[in-house]
Amino acid sequence: MSPSFLLILIPLLPLLAAIATIVCGRRLEHRAHLPAVIGLAAAAVVALALLVLTVRSRGSAETPRPIDITTTLWQWATIDNAYLPAIDSQAAVPGVAVGDDAYSARPFSISITMRLDPLTATMLTIITSIGLLVAIYSIGYMHGDPGYPRFFALVAMFVFSMSMLVAASNFLLVYVFWEAVGVCSYLLIGFWFQKPAAAKAAKKAFLVNRIGDFGLAVAVFLLWLTYGTLDFHDTFSSEGTILPGILGQTRLADIGGYVSGIVGTAICLLLLLAACGKSAQLPLHVWLPDAMEGPTPASALIHAATMVTAGVYLIARCAPLYMACPGALVMVSIVGTTTALVAALIGTVQNDLKRVLAYSTISQLGYMFACLGTGTLLGFTAAIFHLLTHAFFKALLFLGAGSVMHSMGGVIDMRRFGGLRKLMPVTAITFLIGSLALAGIAPFAGFFSKDEILTSLHSKGWPDVHHSVNDQHHATIPNMPSPHSRGNTIHNVGYREFSSYGENLKGTRTPETVGLDALNQPIVWRTLFWMALVTAGLTAFYTFRAVFMTFTGPLRVPEEAGDHAHESPSAMTTPLIVLAIPAIFIGFILFATEGLAHFLAATPSFTAPSVVSTATASVFHWDLAIQGTLAAALGVVIAAVGHLGRRSDGPQLERWLGPLRSFLEHHMFIDQFYIAIIIKPIKAISFIAALFEKHCIERFVELIAHLPLTLGGVTRRLQSGLLQRYALASVIGVLAIIVLLAWRL
Amino acid sequence: MTFTILFGAALALLQNGLMVGAILFSLGLIGILSRRNLIVMFLSAELMLQGISVSLVAWSRYHGDFGGHVLVVFVLSVAACEAAIALVFVLQAFTRTGRLDSTAWQTLREATIDRSIDHEIPSLDTSLPNFPRLTPAGRSPPPDEQAAAQRDHV
Repeated sequence: MSPSFLLILIPLLPLLAAIATIVCGRRLEHRAHLPAVIGLAAAAVVALALLVLTVRSRGSAETPRPIDITTTLWQWATIDNAYLPAIDSQAAVPGVAVGDDAYSARPFSISITMRLDPLTATMLTIITSIGLLVAIYSIGYMHGDPGYPRFFALVAMFVFSMSMLVAASNFLLVYVFWEAVGVCSYLLIGFWFQKPAAAKAAKKAFLVNRIGDFGLAVAVFLLWLTYGTLDFHDTFSSEGTILPGILGQTRLADIGGYVSGIVGTAICLLLLLAACGKSAQLPLHVWLPDAMEGPTPASALIHAATMVTAGVYLIARCAPLYMACPGALVMVSIVGTTTALVAALIGTVQNDLKRVLAYSTISQLGYMFACLGTGTLLGFTAAIFHLLTHAFFKALLFLGAGSVMHSMGGVIDMRRFGGLRKLMPVTAITFLIGSLALAGIAPFAGFFSKDEILTSLHSKGWPDVHHSVNDQHHATIPNMPSPHSRGNTIHNVGYREFSSYGENLKGTRTPETVGLDALNQPIVWRTLFWMALVTAGLTAFYTFRAVFMTFTGPLRVPEEAGDHAHESPSAMTTPLIVLAIPAIFIGFILFATEGLAHFLAATPSFTAPSVVSTATASVFHWDLAIQGTLAAALGVVIAAVGHLGRRSDGPQLERWLGPLRSFLEHHMFIDQFYIAIIIKPIKAISFIAALFEKHCIERFVELIAHLPLTLGGVTRRLQSGLLQRYALASVIGVLAIIVLLAWRL
Repeated sequence: MTFTILFGAALALLQNGLMVGAILFSLGLIGILSRRNLIVMFLSAELMLQGISVSLVAWSRYHGDFGGHVLVVFVLSVAACEAAIALVFVLQAFTRTGRLDSTAWQTLREATIDRSIDHEIPSLDTSLPNFPRLTPAGRSPPPDEQAAAQRDHV
């Protein structure tokens, strides 16, 4: 069982399951979940095995090495001599080829290659395990739905697309599967497409995602132009020289391997745009709350745990590119923290339980972006850590909300039910566990990951408090070719003033800066830190507001519930229980053993010298932990004051917010703003275009259509039916020929 | 073809013969195109054939070759057979419509074109006013005793 084989199996099994469900789903009827569940279970087992194998191959702590196993399935497209670099050394591609032929033409070749490294292994485990649990849950939730087979086919297809996305080793493949997960999301949101709201929400999700996809496409174009290849891994040309991939070992070891300046920042900002679209960050977050029209298991899988994390994955994967452009890093953090704060604010007044969780997802993703943008190894690791814990507890919360919705007969407005803890004890307890994890209460999972995020932000705002690794000679990270230590404290954030290039290049290049780099000031980071802290408090508030309004107080059941207001069947509660376990323990385990940090540090992207040099000593900062816990506790207390117990059935605190409340309830009018500045002008333009088409183009086409008719009408008069006129016509023809011949001769 | 009038009796003979043939051919052509009677149309067609025959004879006499004469004999025999067949057609046409007019056969015209009809003689307009009638000249009116008894002159 080689890792390559296992890596190929993981997307292959859900794909086969999806095909099987499409082909014979109708015939299987109420057993249509079987291919999907079996496929996903097998994929989850294989992913776990692969994770174990990858952890084992990390080597010991003394001689760690980056884990990078590449498998090529087949060669998709090749165009020879597609890239012709300029001869001018200043404009040469950084590190084009190791060797003398740095200026040779390179082919455009896309191979279907999958790459295994710790980041991929972690993401695959998350995707397949949560996919499996969601599939099991859907057996109970989607029971009796006429589209039962279609749902499982879509879930399996989604798991296949997402697995390939995280395993692909080529930017074009990433783009393909980026779109594929967008399509699966569209199909799942619009699962009940007869409902106009669901169809509209699906369309909106896809269109907003498309804006992000545009960013990714342009970024891919720029990457090709800048680096001459789209592969992550190194390839070998026919002459035996290495063609460095964008994230391959050769370029990662090369200090000047990544482009900074306008081009580099443009690439990074476009990747950020793509990530904003997929992960619902601030300008492009509008699709996620509306996406709650889809079935709740789909929301749990896609919009909590996996698809929306694709953006985080992309930026984490492209960490070396970002490290060369500090301006782009600051933008990532600003976007993330602002989104976190705004989404948390909007989530505090939502009455729809699923909307609260949707805004919570946006907010937590904002946290991940915030610490990704710090540009430290801790930041990148913390983002993936938070991704991991968030996937589990958010999926748990969504599935719990689905359980509540299922037994309340489709009602999800929290004002209409209450006190469900006696009615649905398992759901209540697991939901409480998930909420404790989300709010960041120790020792649940969310506390540790949120603490790491706050630590990374703090280390940028107050750099002198945190010590670099090289100062303490505390080697907890893999030894890559050691960067030249030039007093590399973390004052210059992850991007050092390189003064010696040219070891691998012909000619020298100095790092360029753009205006955006000026944002990289400690004052900015301090502001972001305080925003994140406030958001932590708000997170605890709205989470526990939801818990108290739903589960505490006197029992109230709406009349749509009818007779099935009881605990959900075991198909639905078992995944809840299974998810509650990691929500409790995984944070503590991974933090205490530093397993995840060490494991992820062996990812090739994080072994670049620019990333490694930012590593800090792993010290648990008690003051930050206390600050975080205080903020969360404050949120819980205020929520309890407003909504606990007998006060759970009404808008208690929101009355005091005044006009701010309606501003937040209407999602800060962002949707209306977009309608006013984008939709309405487009509708006006399309109205004018329709008029133009109707009066000009159609008339022109009709004119052309009338030409043969007119011409025919003219010549029709020759056919009179009179014999002598026909004879006259032939005589005239003969005369014409004779005259023609006479003139020729 | 440019007509060059050169000296030489043979050439003059040729030119005269071609002229006669051309005149006959054109008269026949005009006849076909403008006459409406089917028999006269056929007559004109025969006339065209004979015009060609004259031309052939003229050419053959000019070149001293008997090929033209032979061809004329063929043409004559073909013309005779064709006459027989054509007159059968004319007879059939007359049997169907009762007229020997070529404009009787217009049914193959386009649907949007009207049937070609001869100008009709306008019918007599009997609504003319009563013109006054003069007395016929050379006849004296009958005597009136009443007016004669009361005349004031002798």
